Amino acid sequence: MSTGKFPRVTRRRFLTQTALTLAAASAPSLSTPFISKARADEKSLSIVQWSHFVPEYDKWFDQFAKDWGTKNNISVTVDHIPVANVAARAAAEASAQSGHDLFGWNGAGGAHLYRKFLVDVTSLVEATEKKYGKVSTIGRQIGYNQDDKTWSAFPDFYINFPAMYRKSMWDEIGMKPDTWDDVRIGGAKLKAKGHPVGISLGHSNDPNTTWRGLLWSFGGALQDADGKNVVLNSKETVEAVKFVTALYKEAMTSEVLSWDDSSNNRYLVSGIGSMIVNPISAYRTFQKANKKGADDTFVMAPPKGPVRRIMGGASEFYGIWKFAKNKEGAIEFLKYYADHWPEAFKASEGYNNPCFANLVPKPMPILSNDPTSTPADKLAVLQDSEQWSASPGYPGPSWPAVDEVYNDFIICDMMAKAASGQMSAEDSVKWAHGQSEAIFTKWHGKT
Amino acid sequence: MAVIAEPVAKPISRYRFILDRREVLEAVLVAPAILYVLLLVGLPLLLAVYYSLSAYTIYNPTWTFVGLANFEQILQDPTFLDTLRNTFIFTFGSQLLGLVLGKFGAFLLLQPFPGRKIVRALIILPFAVPVALATIAWQWMFDSLYSVINWTMIAAGIITREDAPNWLGNPYLAMLCIVIINAWRFFPFAIVIFLAGITAVPQDVIDAATVDGAGFWRRNYQIILPMILPIMAIGLIFGIVFTFTDLSIVFLLTMGGPGGATSVLGFAGFQTGIVSGDVAHGAAISLFMLPVLLVVVIFMLRFIRRREI
Repeated sequence: MSTGKFPRVTRRRFLTQTALTLAAASAPSLSTPFISKARADEKSLSIVQWSHFVPEYDKWFDQFAKDWGTKNNISVTVDHIPVANVAARAAAEASAQSGHDLFGWNGAGGAHLYRKFLVDVTSLVEATEKKYGKVSTIGRQIGYNQDDKTWSAFPDFYINFPAMYRKSMWDEIGMKPDTWDDVRIGGAKLKAKGHPVGISLGHSNDPNTTWRGLLWSFGGALQDADGKNVVLNSKETVEAVKFVTALYKEAMTSEVLSWDDSSNNRYLVSGIGSMIVNPISAYRTFQKANKKGADDTFVMAPPKGPVRRIMGGASEFYGIWKFAKNKEGAIEFLKYYADHWPEAFKASEGYNNPCFANLVPKPMPILSNDPTSTPADKLAVLQDSEQWSASPGYPGPSWPAVDEVYNDFIICDMMAKAASGQMSAEDSVKWAHGQSEAIFTKWHGKT
Repeated sequence: MAVIAEPVAKPISRYRFILDRREVLEAVLVAPAILYVLLLVGLPLLLAVYYSLSAYTIYNPTWTFVGLANFEQILQDPTFLDTLRNTFIFTFGSQLLGLVLGKFGAFLLLQPFPGRKIVRALIILPFAVPVALATIAWQWMFDSLYSVINWTMIAAGIITREDAPNWLGNPYLAMLCIVIINAWRFFPFAIVIFLAGITAVPQDVIDAATVDGAGFWRRNYQIILPMILPIMAIGLIFGIVFTFTDLSIVFLLTMGGPGGATSVLGFAGFQTGIVSGDVAHGAAISLFMLPVLLVVVIFMLRFIRRREI
């Protein structure tokens, strides 16, 4: 007989109903193996890479990957993550032995660090070299393993760091920032007119890259060509640091000590900065924000130092995890991607530079004749940027110790500590040498 | 003649009998929580301890035991000692500021005024807003070129653009900035703690003190504060533990700069262990916090227990 009330919840009833609820909730997972089997014929390929600084490139890539998937009956997903999260994502996927099939690394770190987790792509790179010419030095420094002559990753592109200057401002003082001395002398004159030079001394990728370039152009370096010894504490490095101190005091303001990667772009667009060193994304942003100002901004090879003209660059490369579910699909995709690489170059508006010698024959589209620029050949100098671009390990290979020095911002801090007067140039170099040597010693014991 | 069968008694399940025992059922019900803590807190902690005593890197994922070598190496690094100092300044500076602001805010919110309930709800916002979002907002306020703080001071004629403070470029100001942001995040929590504590103080105690001639300051510091110390200590434990282990503000705002002036243990551990792939040293840097936190928590819990007795 119903009393019209809810039945009393006894302990037994509670346990029985809880068990039934749990069983019902877990039913979908119990059926998963059958569903998986049914879907076995439908292959998939997952890709993760950074959110490109040129958003149009991401749109192009996503569609490109999707179209390839449709042609090959493969479901392709592309995830874009902020550049700062790439390292953490890679570590998480490697630790979990699970994640995307194809992993796109950006800048320092990656292929050599995750070597034991990655599929050997030597045959793929060699086949691509046969078709499109040798890999450039900057492309080789990241994915190539000198010890056993293998490739851990497929070189995609590199980002160059040219100088950008406001022509009208530099014309006014009758100079051009062709050498680092010009930058200091001209920069001092322009600072007095309210238009300082803007090169970050903070903790981010731009200063890590730019100050390495300046160091190399003075003849200094972090390591020797074999990557065995730290050679930072040298007369050349001290000269470079002294130069940066003078450049900071005479031609820049203290703002640069706090800058991130986007600050110099904003500085240029604001109309205050007279010169920056940055990938052309800064120029592209300027074009969208203020065409007139962008037309007055000229792009040139990085300033020449007493020894050479050289600048840091950032290589991009794809690794295929050993635990990837679709390794064959990943390799096939990379082959197809390489064959269509000039499209990627155009989509990036000339930001992505080829790692294979003949991938984009010269004169390169966009760079040799950019209809959005005035004059149209403004970016032509970038066609030869592989001649003055090098990755963080220069003149040696990039390996985990070089990465750690990079990630700890030791070269940036060496410059900043001297520039801001915290240390003398000599002490600052000694400090940086000591820090780097400790890192090298640690990694030599582990590699 | 029809024969009616005797009803057969159903055998009682052994499991039912076991679950009818109170102590067994208690254990069964508590087990998921214990399992959760063991799997998601205990296991990772033990793993981190082992990492810190091993030579494990992403390049060479070996479990070779190296004892305390990693700890010895990081202690020899002068930069690490700066990081340790920064962590203490960041933690205790922001807690102190958060507590002062929290107490001040709690007293204000105890006063009756129109819209008090709305203000009480809104004051929680800094605590509820995702840290990434809040830090980016602060980043613009401290931006070298577009700082709204500097812009206001320049517009008010207090400073010129040349004299404007370089918030994130000066080592001391950068540390102040991260302390302020963390205190800003913590103070709503402190307000809630203080409000709960102050409203729990019996009114007759305060009335008696007032009758005896105790003024605002005496009532505040000799009656209310001692009575709410235990609950304040609980809030402080949360604040200290969360701040000591935090890396988000530094990661998003300064990346440890300028020149390492704002590098804290959480950030340094992340950079070394995850970004650079030296998991063993990264774990050792991170675990440096463990004994400190353990001592702080034990000390404060003992203090709370004594106060309650």
